[in-house]
Amino acid sequence: MKLYNVKLLTVTCEILAQKNIIDILAKHNISGYTTYEVEGNGARGLRGQGLKNEKNVKVEVIMQEEKLQDVIEEIARTLFTNFAVVLYVSDVGVLRTEKFV
Amino acid sequence: MDILGLIQSNLLTPIVLFFIFGIIAARIKSDLKIPDAISEFLPIYLLAAIGLHGGIEMRNTGFETMLVPMLVAIGLSLLFTLNHYQILRRLGKFNLFDSYALASTYGAVGAVTFSVGLSFLKNQGVTSEGFLAAVLAVLEPVAFILAIFLTNMAVSKQIKSKKESLGDISDSEIEMGISETKTNLKQVLHESITGKAIVILLGSIIIGYAIGEEGFSSISIVFDELFTGAIVIFLIEMGIIAGQRLDDIKKVGVFLIAFSIIMPTFNGIVGVLVATAIGLSLGGSVMFGLLLASASFIAAPAVLRHAIPQAKPSLYITSALGITFPYNIIVLLPIMFIVSSIVHDEGSIDLFNFISKGLI
Repeated sequence: MKLYNVKLLTVTCEILAQKNIIDILAKHNISGYTTYEVEGNGARGLRGQGLKNEKNVKVEVIMQEEKLQDVIEEIARTLFTNFAVVLYVSDVGVLRTEKFV
Repeated sequence: MDILGLIQSNLLTPIVLFFIFGIIAARIKSDLKIPDAISEFLPIYLLAAIGLHGGIEMRNTGFETMLVPMLVAIGLSLLFTLNHYQILRRLGKFNLFDSYALASTYGAVGAVTFSVGLSFLKNQGVTSEGFLAAVLAVLEPVAFILAIFLTNMAVSKQIKSKKESLGDISDSEIEMGISETKTNLKQVLHESITGKAIVILLGSIIIGYAIGEEGFSSISIVFDELFTGAIVIFLIEMGIIAGQRLDDIKKVGVFLIAFSIIMPTFNGIVGVLVATAIGLSLGGSVMFGLLLASASFIAAPAVLRHAIPQAKPSLYITSALGITFPYNIIVLLPIMFIVSSIVHDEGSIDLFNFISKGLI
Protein backbone atom coordinates (compact mmCIF):
# COMPACT_ATOMS: atom_id res chain seq x y z
CA MET A 1 0.00 0.00 0.00
CA LYS A 2 1.13 3.51 -0.65
CA LEU A 3 2.36 5.54 2.32
CA TYR A 4 2.15 9.31 2.26
CA ASN A 5 4.80 11.45 3.92
CA VAL A 6 3.62 13.66 6.79
CA LYS A 7 5.27 15.10 9.90
CA LEU A 8 4.98 13.87 13.45
CA LEU A 9 5.44 16.58 16.05
CA THR A 10 6.28 15.32 19.54
CA VAL A 11 6.19 17.72 22.47
CA THR A 12 7.24 16.60 25.94
CA CYS A 13 6.22 19.21 28.48
CA GLU A 14 4.93 19.79 31.98
CA ILE A 15 1.30 18.85 32.33
CA LEU A 16 0.23 22.43 32.97
CA ALA A 17 1.53 23.46 29.54
CA GLN A 18 -0.57 20.81 27.81
CA LYS A 19 -3.58 23.08 27.56
CA ASN A 20 -1.50 25.83 25.95
CA ILE A 21 -0.19 23.38 23.35
CA ILE A 22 -3.64 22.10 22.52
CA ASP A 23 -4.94 25.66 22.26
CA ILE A 24 -2.18 26.46 19.78
CA LEU A 25 -3.05 23.35 17.75
CA ALA A 26 -6.71 24.33 17.75
CA LYS A 27 -5.77 27.81 16.54
CA HIS A 28 -4.17 26.18 13.51
CA ASN A 29 -7.20 23.98 12.93
CA ILE A 30 -5.58 20.81 14.16
CA SER A 31 -8.03 18.89 16.32
CA GLY A 32 -6.42 15.47 16.52
CA TYR A 33 -3.65 14.63 18.96
CA THR A 34 -2.57 11.96 21.45
CA THR A 35 -1.25 12.61 24.95
CA TYR A 36 0.19 10.40 27.62
CA GLU A 37 1.76 10.95 31.02
CA VAL A 38 5.49 10.39 31.19
CA GLU A 39 8.36 10.70 33.62
CA GLY A 40 11.89 11.76 33.02
CA ASN A 41 14.90 13.83 33.85
CA GLY A 42 16.01 17.01 32.18
CA ALA A 43 17.25 20.56 32.51
CA ARG A 44 14.59 21.30 35.11
CA GLY A 45 15.36 18.24 37.21
CA LEU A 46 13.65 14.92 37.75
CA ARG A 47 10.05 15.34 36.64
CA GLY A 48 6.89 13.29 36.91
CA GLN A 49 6.97 12.62 40.63
CA GLY A 50 4.91 14.02 43.43
CA LEU A 51 2.05 16.40 42.87
CA LYS A 52 -0.33 15.74 40.04
CA ASN A 53 0.27 19.21 38.65
CA GLU A 54 3.97 18.56 38.34
CA LYS A 55 3.68 15.56 36.08
CA ASN A 56 5.05 15.52 32.56
CA VAL A 57 3.07 14.78 29.46
CA LYS A 58 3.90 13.88 25.88
CA VAL A 59 1.77 15.26 23.08
CA GLU A 60 1.94 13.68 19.62
CA VAL A 61 0.44 15.33 16.58
CA ILE A 62 0.55 14.33 12.95
CA MET A 63 0.26 17.16 10.44
CA GLN A 64 1.19 18.34 6.98
CA GLU A 65 4.53 20.03 6.56
CA GLU A 66 2.92 23.38 5.60
CA LYS A 67 1.36 23.83 9.00
CA LEU A 68 4.31 22.58 10.97
CA GLN A 69 6.47 25.71 10.82
CA ASP A 70 3.72 27.98 12.14
CA VAL A 71 2.83 25.60 14.94
CA ILE A 72 6.37 25.06 16.21
CA GLU A 73 7.14 28.77 15.87
CA GLU A 74 4.20 29.61 18.13
CA ILE A 75 5.05 26.91 20.67
CA ALA A 76 8.66 28.08 20.80
CA ARG A 77 7.71 31.74 21.12
CA THR A 78 5.05 31.38 23.79
CA LEU A 79 6.23 28.45 25.90
CA PHE A 80 9.98 27.92 25.75
CA THR A 81 10.94 30.64 28.25
CA ASN A 82 8.51 29.76 31.03
CA PHE A 83 7.78 26.06 30.71
CA ALA A 84 9.73 22.83 30.65
CA VAL A 85 9.34 21.84 26.98
CA VAL A 86 11.19 19.51 24.63
CA LEU A 87 10.06 19.45 21.02
CA TYR A 88 11.10 17.40 18.04
CA VAL A 89 9.79 16.52 14.60
CA SER A 90 10.05 13.27 12.68
CA ASP A 91 9.02 11.99 9.28
CA VAL A 92 6.30 9.39 9.31
CA GLY A 93 4.20 7.66 6.71
CA VAL A 94 0.43 7.39 6.86
CA LEU A 95 -2.10 5.61 4.71
CA ARG A 96 -4.95 8.07 4.83
CA THR A 97 -3.40 11.47 4.32
CA GLU A 98 -6.79 13.19 4.23
CA LYS A 99 -7.11 12.55 7.98
CA PHE A 100 -4.15 14.80 8.73
CA VAL A 101 -4.80 18.11 7.10
CA MET B 1 1.00 28.89 79.46
CA ASP B 2 3.11 26.03 78.20
CA ILE B 3 3.38 26.47 74.46
CA LEU B 4 6.24 24.02 74.22
CA GLY B 5 4.23 21.39 76.04
CA LEU B 6 1.35 21.71 73.60
CA ILE B 7 3.68 21.65 70.61
CA GLN B 8 5.30 18.57 72.06
CA SER B 9 2.02 16.75 72.53
CA ASN B 10 0.92 17.88 69.06
CA LEU B 11 4.09 16.29 67.69
CA LEU B 12 2.95 12.95 69.04
CA THR B 13 -0.35 12.89 67.16
CA PRO B 14 -0.65 10.36 64.33
CA ILE B 15 -1.10 13.12 61.74
CA VAL B 16 2.19 14.83 62.50
CA LEU B 17 4.08 11.59 63.09
CA PHE B 18 3.00 10.15 59.73
CA PHE B 19 3.93 13.39 58.00
CA ILE B 20 7.42 13.24 59.50
CA PHE B 21 7.55 9.55 58.63
CA GLY B 22 6.81 10.44 55.00
CA ILE B 23 9.67 12.94 55.00
CA ILE B 24 12.03 10.32 56.39
CA ALA B 25 10.89 7.75 53.85
CA ALA B 26 11.70 10.19 51.06
CA ARG B 27 15.06 11.10 52.57
CA ILE B 28 16.23 7.48 52.75
CA LYS B 29 15.12 7.17 49.12
CA SER B 30 12.55 4.52 49.85
CA ASP B 31 10.21 3.66 46.99
CA LEU B 32 7.28 4.11 49.34
CA LYS B 33 4.54 5.97 47.52
CA ILE B 34 0.81 6.43 47.86
CA PRO B 35 -0.80 5.34 44.55
CA ASP B 36 -1.72 8.30 42.31
CA ALA B 37 -5.41 7.55 42.30
CA ILE B 38 -5.57 7.59 46.08
CA SER B 39 -3.59 10.79 46.51
CA GLU B 40 -5.88 12.45 43.97
CA PHE B 41 -8.96 11.04 45.65
CA LEU B 42 -8.10 12.07 49.20
CA PRO B 43 -8.27 15.87 48.77
CA ILE B 44 -11.69 15.43 47.17
CA TYR B 45 -12.79 13.23 50.06
CA LEU B 46 -11.46 15.69 52.66
CA LEU B 47 -13.21 18.62 51.00
CA ALA B 48 -16.46 16.65 50.76
CA ALA B 49 -16.29 15.83 54.47
CA ILE B 50 -15.49 19.45 55.39
CA GLY B 51 -18.34 20.68 53.21
CA LEU B 52 -20.88 18.22 54.60
CA HIS B 53 -20.05 19.16 58.18
CA GLY B 54 -20.18 22.83 57.33
CA GLY B 55 -23.52 22.48 55.59
CA ILE B 56 -25.10 20.55 58.44
CA GLU B 57 -23.98 23.12 60.98
CA MET B 58 -25.11 26.00 58.81
CA ARG B 59 -28.57 24.47 58.83
CA ASN B 60 -28.57 24.91 62.60
CA THR B 61 -27.04 28.37 62.73
CA GLY B 62 -28.44 29.97 59.59
CA PHE B 63 -26.71 32.16 57.06
CA GLU B 64 -26.78 35.55 58.80
CA THR B 65 -24.02 34.68 61.26
CA MET B 66 -21.75 33.91 58.36
CA LEU B 67 -21.87 37.28 56.62
CA VAL B 68 -19.54 39.35 58.81
CA PRO B 69 -16.80 36.69 59.20
CA MET B 70 -16.95 36.05 55.46
CA LEU B 71 -16.48 39.71 54.54
CA VAL B 72 -13.77 40.19 57.15
CA ALA B 73 -11.94 37.11 55.86
CA ILE B 74 -12.06 38.36 52.27
CA GLY B 75 -10.85 41.80 53.36
CA LEU B 76 -7.97 40.38 55.37
CA SER B 77 -6.99 37.97 52.62
CA LEU B 78 -6.77 40.84 50.10
CA LEU B 79 -4.91 43.06 52.54
CA PHE B 80 -2.41 40.34 53.38
CA THR B 81 -1.82 39.58 49.71
CA LEU B 82 -0.95 43.23 49.06
CA ASN B 83 1.21 43.29 52.17
CA HIS B 84 3.08 40.14 51.07
CA TYR B 85 3.70 41.68 47.69
CA GLN B 86 5.24 44.82 49.16
CA ILE B 87 7.46 42.80 51.47
CA LEU B 88 8.61 40.40 48.77
CA ARG B 89 9.16 43.07 46.15
CA ARG B 90 10.81 45.74 48.31
CA LEU B 91 12.63 43.77 50.99
CA GLY B 92 13.05 40.45 49.22
CA LYS B 93 13.96 41.96 45.83
CA PHE B 94 11.96 39.32 43.99
CA ASN B 95 10.82 40.16 40.48
CA LEU B 96 7.26 41.26 39.84
CA PHE B 97 5.99 37.85 38.77
CA ASP B 98 7.53 35.85 41.60
CA SER B 99 6.38 38.47 44.10
CA TYR B 100 2.76 38.32 42.98
CA ALA B 101 2.79 34.53 42.70
CA LEU B 102 4.22 34.14 46.20
CA ALA B 103 1.99 36.87 47.63
CA SER B 104 -1.13 35.11 46.39
CA THR B 105 0.10 31.66 47.39
CA TYR B 106 0.37 32.95 50.95
CA GLY B 107 -2.84 34.98 50.70
CA ALA B 108 -4.75 31.90 49.53
CA VAL B 109 -5.93 29.08 51.76
CA GLY B 110 -4.79 25.50 52.11
CA ALA B 111 -7.56 22.92 52.25
CA VAL B 112 -5.25 20.24 53.60
CA THR B 113 -4.08 22.56 56.37
CA PHE B 114 -7.72 23.27 57.13
CA SER B 115 -8.46 19.54 57.47
CA VAL B 116 -5.51 19.07 59.81
CA GLY B 117 -6.79 22.02 61.88
CA LEU B 118 -10.24 20.46 62.20
CA SER B 119 -8.74 17.22 63.35
CA PHE B 120 -6.46 19.07 65.79
CA LEU B 121 -9.49 20.76 67.35
CA LYS B 122 -11.35 17.46 67.51
CA ASN B 123 -8.39 16.10 69.41
CA GLN B 124 -8.66 18.99 71.88
CA GLY B 125 -12.39 18.46 72.25
CA VAL B 126 -13.17 21.90 70.83
CA THR B 127 -15.69 22.66 68.09
CA SER B 128 -15.62 25.37 65.44
CA GLU B 129 -18.27 27.17 63.43
CA GLY B 130 -19.52 25.21 60.43
CA PHE B 131 -19.71 28.22 58.14
CA LEU B 132 -15.91 28.36 58.06
CA ALA B 133 -16.16 25.70 55.34
CA ALA B 134 -18.01 28.26 53.23
CA VAL B 135 -15.37 30.86 54.05
CA LEU B 136 -12.76 28.35 52.87
CA ALA B 137 -14.56 27.98 49.55
CA VAL B 138 -14.90 31.71 49.02
CA LEU B 139 -11.33 32.53 50.04
CA GLU B 140 -9.87 29.93 47.70
CA PRO B 141 -9.89 32.10 44.54
CA VAL B 142 -9.80 35.58 46.11
CA ALA B 143 -6.06 36.08 46.53
CA PHE B 144 -5.29 34.62 43.11
CA ILE B 145 -7.78 36.84 41.36
CA LEU B 146 -6.28 39.93 42.99
CA ALA B 147 -2.70 38.93 42.20
CA ILE B 148 -3.49 38.01 38.61
CA PHE B 149 -5.41 41.24 38.09
CA LEU B 150 -2.54 43.32 39.49
CA THR B 151 0.07 41.41 37.48
CA ASN B 152 -1.88 42.03 34.29
CA MET B 153 -2.19 45.71 35.15
CA ALA B 154 1.53 46.00 35.83
CA VAL B 155 2.42 44.17 32.61
CA SER B 156 0.15 46.24 30.37
CA LYS B 157 1.49 49.39 32.04
CA GLN B 158 5.03 48.27 31.27
CA ILE B 159 4.14 47.55 27.67
CA LYS B 160 2.52 50.97 27.37
CA SER B 161 5.45 52.87 28.81
CA LYS B 162 7.89 50.92 26.65
CA LYS B 163 5.86 51.76 23.57
CA GLU B 164 5.76 55.42 24.54
CA SER B 165 9.47 55.60 25.14
CA LEU B 166 10.05 54.03 21.74
CA GLY B 167 8.01 56.79 20.22
CA ASP B 168 5.75 54.76 18.00
CA ILE B 169 2.52 54.43 19.87
CA SER B 170 0.07 52.26 18.08
CA ASP B 171 -3.06 52.32 20.16
CA SER B 172 -4.59 49.33 18.51
CA GLU B 173 -1.71 47.14 19.59
CA ILE B 174 -1.93 48.32 23.16
CA GLU B 175 -5.63 47.75 23.19
CA MET B 176 -5.08 44.31 21.78
CA GLY B 177 -2.66 43.55 24.60
CA ILE B 178 -5.10 44.82 27.19
CA SER B 179 -8.03 42.88 25.79
CA GLU B 180 -5.83 39.80 25.78
CA THR B 181 -5.12 40.17 29.49
CA LYS B 182 -8.80 40.72 30.12
CA THR B 183 -9.80 37.45 28.54
CA ASN B 184 -6.98 35.88 30.47
CA LEU B 185 -8.46 37.13 33.74
CA LYS B 186 -11.92 35.97 32.76
CA GLN B 187 -10.57 32.55 31.90
CA VAL B 188 -8.71 32.30 35.19
CA LEU B 189 -11.81 33.39 37.07
CA HIS B 190 -13.84 30.71 35.35
CA GLU B 191 -11.19 28.07 35.88
CA SER B 192 -10.69 28.78 39.56
CA ILE B 193 -14.39 28.97 40.35
CA THR B 194 -15.22 25.79 38.46
CA GLY B 195 -12.07 24.09 39.77
CA LYS B 196 -12.67 20.77 41.49
CA ALA B 197 -11.85 22.06 44.98
CA ILE B 198 -14.52 24.75 45.01
CA VAL B 199 -17.10 22.68 43.18
CA ILE B 200 -16.87 19.72 45.56
CA LEU B 201 -16.74 22.00 48.59
CA LEU B 202 -19.78 24.07 47.62
CA GLY B 203 -21.65 20.99 46.43
CA SER B 204 -21.11 19.20 49.73
CA ILE B 205 -22.10 22.29 51.73
CA ILE B 206 -25.40 22.43 49.86
CA ILE B 207 -25.97 18.69 50.22
CA GLY B 208 -25.03 18.83 53.90
CA TYR B 209 -27.46 21.71 54.36
CA ALA B 210 -30.19 19.76 52.59
CA ILE B 211 -29.78 16.44 54.39
CA GLY B 212 -29.12 17.69 57.94
CA GLU B 213 -28.12 15.51 60.88
CA GLU B 214 -30.57 12.69 60.21
CA GLY B 215 -29.59 12.33 56.57
CA PHE B 216 -25.93 12.41 57.52
CA SER B 217 -26.18 9.52 59.97
CA SER B 218 -26.30 6.99 57.13
CA ILE B 219 -22.97 8.21 55.68
CA SER B 220 -21.26 9.36 58.86
CA ILE B 221 -19.15 6.23 59.02
CA VAL B 222 -17.37 7.35 55.86
CA PHE B 223 -17.36 11.10 56.27
CA ASP B 224 -16.93 11.40 60.01
CA GLU B 225 -15.15 8.44 61.55
CA LEU B 226 -12.71 7.95 58.70
CA PHE B 227 -11.80 11.63 58.44
CA THR B 228 -8.66 11.71 60.60
CA GLY B 229 -7.49 8.38 59.22
CA ALA B 230 -7.79 9.70 55.68
CA ILE B 231 -5.76 12.79 56.58
CA VAL B 232 -3.08 10.52 57.99
CA ILE B 233 -2.80 8.61 54.70
CA PHE B 234 -2.73 11.83 52.73
CA LEU B 235 -0.04 13.27 54.96
CA ILE B 236 2.24 10.31 54.24
CA GLU B 237 2.11 11.43 50.62
CA MET B 238 2.58 15.10 51.58
CA GLY B 239 5.55 14.09 53.72
CA ILE B 240 7.10 12.18 50.83
CA ILE B 241 6.69 15.12 48.46
CA ALA B 242 8.00 17.58 51.04
CA GLY B 243 10.92 15.26 51.73
CA GLN B 244 11.82 15.09 48.05
CA ARG B 245 11.89 18.87 48.00
CA LEU B 246 14.05 19.37 51.07
CA ASP B 247 17.11 19.95 48.90
CA ASP B 248 15.28 22.70 47.03
CA ILE B 249 14.74 24.63 50.25
CA LYS B 250 18.38 25.69 50.18
CA LYS B 251 17.75 27.17 46.74
CA VAL B 252 14.84 29.39 47.77
CA GLY B 253 17.10 31.53 49.94
CA VAL B 254 17.17 32.72 53.51
CA PHE B 255 14.75 35.56 52.91
CA LEU B 256 11.96 33.33 51.60
CA ILE B 257 12.54 30.77 54.36
CA ALA B 258 12.12 33.52 56.96
CA PHE B 259 9.13 34.90 55.06
CA SER B 260 7.38 31.53 54.96
CA ILE B 261 7.63 31.24 58.75
CA ILE B 262 7.12 34.82 59.91
CA MET B 263 4.23 35.77 57.61
CA PRO B 264 1.97 32.82 58.52
CA THR B 265 2.64 33.47 62.20
CA PHE B 266 1.72 37.13 61.85
CA ASN B 267 -1.32 36.46 59.63
CA GLY B 268 -2.50 33.62 61.84
CA ILE B 269 -2.32 35.52 65.09
CA VAL B 270 -3.96 38.60 63.57
CA GLY B 271 -6.63 36.23 62.27
CA VAL B 272 -7.23 34.71 65.70
CA LEU B 273 -7.51 38.15 67.32
CA VAL B 274 -9.81 39.55 64.66
CA ALA B 275 -11.99 36.43 64.75
CA THR B 276 -12.29 36.73 68.52
CA ALA B 277 -13.22 40.39 68.17
CA ILE B 278 -16.06 39.58 65.77
CA GLY B 279 -17.36 36.94 68.12
CA LEU B 280 -16.15 33.59 66.85
CA SER B 281 -15.70 30.75 69.34
CA LEU B 282 -12.35 29.50 70.64
CA GLY B 283 -12.11 26.80 68.00
CA GLY B 284 -13.59 28.99 65.30
CA SER B 285 -10.94 31.64 65.93
CA VAL B 286 -8.19 29.05 65.58
CA MET B 287 -9.64 27.88 62.25
CA PHE B 288 -10.08 31.46 61.08
CA GLY B 289 -6.46 32.17 61.94
CA LEU B 290 -5.41 28.99 60.19
CA LEU B 291 -7.29 30.02 57.03
CA LEU B 292 -5.26 33.21 56.89
CA ALA B 293 -1.99 31.57 57.92
CA SER B 294 -2.12 28.70 55.46
CA ALA B 295 -0.56 28.76 52.02
CA SER B 296 -1.97 27.00 49.01
CA PHE B 297 0.13 24.30 47.41
CA ILE B 298 -2.33 22.13 45.52
CA ALA B 299 -4.48 24.79 43.86
CA ALA B 300 -1.72 27.40 43.52
CA PRO B 301 0.40 25.75 40.82
CA ALA B 302 -2.64 24.90 38.70
CA VAL B 303 -3.86 28.50 38.74
CA LEU B 304 -0.57 30.36 38.70
CA ARG B 305 1.15 28.31 36.03
CA HIS B 306 -1.46 29.54 33.58
CA ALA B 307 -2.05 33.00 34.89
CA ILE B 308 1.52 34.01 35.79
CA PRO B 309 3.68 31.51 33.89
CA GLN B 310 6.75 33.71 34.34
CA ALA B 311 6.85 33.00 38.07
CA LYS B 312 9.04 30.11 39.15
CA PRO B 313 6.88 27.29 40.58
CA SER B 314 9.88 25.91 42.45
CA LEU B 315 9.73 29.00 44.68
CA TYR B 316 6.09 28.98 45.62
CA ILE B 317 5.54 25.23 45.83
CA THR B 318 8.69 24.57 47.82
CA SER B 319 8.11 27.34 50.34
CA ALA B 320 4.40 26.58 50.80
CA LEU B 321 4.71 22.81 51.01
CA GLY B 322 8.23 22.37 52.32
CA ILE B 323 8.31 25.09 54.97
CA THR B 324 4.96 26.69 55.74
CA PHE B 325 2.80 23.57 55.78
CA PRO B 326 4.92 21.62 58.31
CA TYR B 327 5.42 24.76 60.38
CA ASN B 328 1.68 25.46 60.41
CA ILE B 329 0.56 22.01 61.46
CA ILE B 330 3.34 21.34 63.96
CA VAL B 331 4.11 24.69 65.57
CA LEU B 332 1.62 27.38 64.61
CA LEU B 333 -1.59 25.45 65.31
CA PRO B 334 -0.72 24.97 69.02
CA ILE B 335 0.45 28.59 69.24
CA MET B 336 -2.81 29.87 67.75
CA PHE B 337 -4.77 27.54 70.02
CA ILE B 338 -3.07 29.02 73.06
CA VAL B 339 -3.50 32.59 71.83
CA SER B 340 -7.16 31.88 71.20
CA SER B 341 -7.50 30.28 74.64
CA ILE B 342 -5.98 33.34 76.30
CA VAL B 343 -8.17 35.84 74.48
CA HIS B 344 -11.25 33.72 75.09
CA ASP B 345 -10.24 33.77 78.73
CA GLU B 346 -11.25 30.23 79.49
CA GLY B 347 -8.39 28.20 78.14
CA SER B 348 -6.10 27.97 81.13
CA ILE B 349 -8.13 25.27 82.82
CA ASP B 350 -8.73 23.26 79.65
CA LEU B 351 -5.14 23.56 78.71
CA PHE B 352 -3.95 22.50 82.13
CA ASN B 353 -6.16 19.45 81.94
CA PHE B 354 -4.92 18.71 78.49
CA ILE B 355 -1.27 18.99 79.37
CA SER B 356 -1.56 16.99 82.57
CA LYS B 357 -3.45 14.34 80.61
CA GLY B 358 -0.70 14.42 78.02
CA LEU B 359 1.95 13.94 80.66
CA ILE B 360 0.22 10.99 82.27
